[in-house]
Amino acid sequence: MRLTHWLNALRSPVGAVSATLLSAFIVLALIAPIIWGDAAEQTDPSALSQGPSAEHFLGTDGLGRDIWMRVLVATRTSLGLAVLATLIAVSIGTLLGVLPAVLGRRAGRLAVALVNLAVAFPALLLALFFAVIFGIGAKGAVLAIGIAGAPSFARLVQTNVAAVAGRDFVSAARVAGVGRVRLVFRHLLPNVGEPLVVNATVMAGGALLAFAGLSFLGIGVQPPTYDWGRLLGEGLSRIYLNPAAALAPGVAVVLAGLAFTLLGETIAQVVGLRTTARRGHLGVLPTLRRREPDEPTTTQPGSNGASVYDGVSTQHAAASTDGSTVRPDDAVLVARDLTVSFPGPRGWTHPVDGVDLTVHRGETVGIVGESGSGKSLTALAVARLAPEEAVVRASTLNFLGTSLPDRSDAELRRLLGTSMAMVFQDPMTSFNPSMRVGRQLAEVTRTHEGHSRRAAWDRAVDRLRKVRVPAAERRAAQYPHEFSGGMRQRAMIGMGLMSSPDLVIADEPTTALDVTVQRQVLRLLREVQRESGAAVVLISHDIAVVSQMCERIVVMYSGRVVEELPVDRLAEAAHPYTRALLGSVPDLATDVDRPLATIPGRPPDPGARPPGCAFAPRCAFADDTCTAPPVLEDVAPRQRAACWHPQSGPVAPSPLAGAEPAVDVPTRTGGQP
Amino acid sequence: MKELEFRDVTVRFGTGHGTVTAVDGVDLTVPAGSVVGLVGESGSGKSTLAKAAVGLVPESGGEILLDGRPVRRTRGRRTLQMVFQDPYSSLNPRMSVGDSIAEAMPRGRGRKERRAEVARLLELVELDASRAGSLPGGLSGGQRQRVALARALAAEPEVILADEITSALDVSVQGAVLNLVRDLQRRLGLSILFISHNLSVVRYVSDLIAVMYLGRIVEFGPAAEVLSAPRHPYTQTLLDAAPRVGTSLDDAVPADRSELDGEPPSPHDPPSGCAFHRRCPYGPLVLPERTICAEDDPMTGADTRPHRAACHFAADLEVSIP
Repeated sequence: MRLTHWLNALRSPVGAVSATLLSAFIVLALIAPIIWGDAAEQTDPSALSQGPSAEHFLGTDGLGRDIWMRVLVATRTSLGLAVLATLIAVSIGTLLGVLPAVLGRRAGRLAVALVNLAVAFPALLLALFFAVIFGIGAKGAVLAIGIAGAPSFARLVQTNVAAVAGRDFVSAARVAGVGRVRLVFRHLLPNVGEPLVVNATVMAGGALLAFAGLSFLGIGVQPPTYDWGRLLGEGLSRIYLNPAAALAPGVAVVLAGLAFTLLGETIAQVVGLRTTARRGHLGVLPTLRRREPDEPTTTQPGSNGASVYDGVSTQHAAASTDGSTVRPDDAVLVARDLTVSFPGPRGWTHPVDGVDLTVHRGETVGIVGESGSGKSLTALAVARLAPEEAVVRASTLNFLGTSLPDRSDAELRRLLGTSMAMVFQDPMTSFNPSMRVGRQLAEVTRTHEGHSRRAAWDRAVDRLRKVRVPAAERRAAQYPHEFSGGMRQRAMIGMGLMSSPDLVIADEPTTALDVTVQRQVLRLLREVQRESGAAVVLISHDIAVVSQMCERIVVMYSGRVVEELPVDRLAEAAHPYTRALLGSVPDLATDVDRPLATIPGRPPDPGARPPGCAFAPRCAFADDTCTAPPVLEDVAPRQRAACWHPQSGPVAPSPLAGAEPAVDVPTRTGGQP
Repeated sequence: MKELEFRDVTVRFGTGHGTVTAVDGVDLTVPAGSVVGLVGESGSGKSTLAKAAVGLVPESGGEILLDGRPVRRTRGRRTLQMVFQDPYSSLNPRMSVGDSIAEAMPRGRGRKERRAEVARLLELVELDASRAGSLPGGLSGGQRQRVALARALAAEPEVILADEITSALDVSVQGAVLNLVRDLQRRLGLSILFISHNLSVVRYVSDLIAVMYLGRIVEFGPAAEVLSAPRHPYTQTLLDAAPRVGTSLDDAVPADRSELDGEPPSPHDPPSGCAFHRRCPYGPLVLPERTICAEDDPMTGADTRPHRAACHFAADLEVSIP
């Protein structure tokens, strides 16, 4: 994996150029002094200060030495000194950078303060200052540039180390009694290495330039040794007679600097790519050509960056197939065969794979599933908020009787902006932290309904009062960070109420909240729903939360709906997954003397979903039939399950009470989650 | 296994006017070989208490004792081990599973011995011993949490502090990890301080339950008793708010009363008297004659009340409300 990334990076233009340049310079630095070292020192009294000629490619200097050879030979000194200076900077910088993490609180703070002071000092000035202290010459210059570069590197190390030091594995190592030195070398540095390597290479380019500058000024390398900076200085005095004498070392400095910087870029590229790949994100490799999903459709990325709805929109009159008694024209939202696809390194993946969802006016529907089940993505796709690279398709996607794929972007924005409200999990990130809460609420009506500033503000205050934010007037003028988590979530619901929504989608709205606050927020949501008559889609991983609030529950597994049932049928769930889910979470009535039910294995990746029923590999009832995809079929009135072996009878209060082989597979034999 | 005792432990953060008392004079005992469940809201100080025990935050006052002697945290064997909430952050991504576990072992063992011990521990937490060489990147959340448990056990600790170890896991694997914790506890006779915000989870693993509110233990007693007959209104509120299949949000509970404060108080500015009085369904906001709640600190005399409850009316909590 790692190697292929490097090879890929080498194939990119930046990588190829940096690799070529760098290897050329390294070869030169190694062999040039051996081959041309003597020739470059050879003085020729008969050819002093000549221009380019057949004999001397770039002419000669004041002592008749060949400039071309001197430039080539100087590669070793120039690069060597630059790398040496960088090494000094990196070593001192790393040492200073990790100090705060290993020293005590007070000493650490002192180290940080010192580095901050040093960073504030201009590096070049520092270098000049050190050059005077350490004496004029290569040694002084190396130390000067090295030490001058250390503070900024130390700062970088500090920042990165501080981020890692806050993570639990460092705490765990401390608790385990790991010593300071080992902590630094095994836990801290390996996890900050990547940005440091990138910066060190860029720094080497900078050191090269700084060296050339110092030598040019005469306080760097002293005769008889010479580097590009000195050659440049010597050549400059005769630039009108022999421009090549000054240009050649100049070009060398630029090329070498470029090689270092591009190397840094290349490493950054590889490092960045690896990080995303590790997160399991579907990063598009540069070599991958974007293909369409297998199904015959056409897709154009939306002009505003969002994905467009795509697919044939056939008016569906079959909303009754879900067994609901409500007339189809009463539906707020109808989605048929909704699929969300992402391009991945190995073709397309479909985290949402053919979901049917109908929400009727005033209804409360809960979508339950584990992380990765596609429950949030389903909602985001409906609200046109799916990530940019996603392709959303559906055979039907109607909101309030309007077929969404047929509408223009502007129409959709207006329709969804006024009639659909979203409440997200993390209320801290769903508000703009730099804007007063009231103004953020007011913005909604100002954008969509063109209210005046005053009227919009008044409405915002009124809505905050409505969602029981105490002292709404004063609160509206506050910033989101001044709100507690529960208050922020109330304000978020209030924002949804700025216009009169027909559908509120709440995506894990209480997951970040404490149970007591959770209850209040859910009760508020329910009250708001009853008053406004809006339909609510509540998405949660917690089947108990959903069951308390919703009339109908949709259970999702691996991007598909596996069961759909009214809440009062929950005790007689038919799909083994639903039943297992109910049994594996302890509640206040669970028998504490028996082991909890467990589901062996783990949910499949959307890219590697097993054929047929995705739950089959974890299911105790699975057999050969399950390799064919099951469809949602009625198993009871208003209850549908996508299962070849739907279960009947009540879900035992204690799931291991006997008749539950689905969940009776002990962890010991059943593999680990 | 030994007994862990917190004696009047206080942890303060910040200085001057910004001082926050995260843990406020906590007395708590984890008897040898038993599991004490510690419940409370976020910000109640339950994690801070555990971190103080293992030395990740300095305590500002009080003592932490192991079988009556102060816990040594400086050198040698670490007698207290902690398992963290987020298994994605608690394992070094650059270190193999086996190295992570071996690192926690007491010093002075040979390489071979360590390797054998790693294999034994991995099997103990029901993972394949061949996993020792793999990096955490390839493991699921549940598997990582098992590795974290194995690492804690590797140190041969006297007490384990488990801080919300299932809350970052998917619901379908939580059960398996809880089963494992219970199984290990019984087989090895571990003493565990099990911290969670989820009362149902705590109920499932604990012998004793301590309820924490704003830095203090407000109720402590045998698990079954605390849950069936809570003596502190806050415990009752937590029980009522826990979502349960088969109940509806419409079934009002005492804490739903609109005259009560909905929000937990700020630890920067704790209320006078009982810290819970503005949210208490049995407190002065509902029963105006109970002015004592806003005036006197109920911690005084808590030791004499049932469940050591920090409530002036702990004895007659069942009194019906108007």
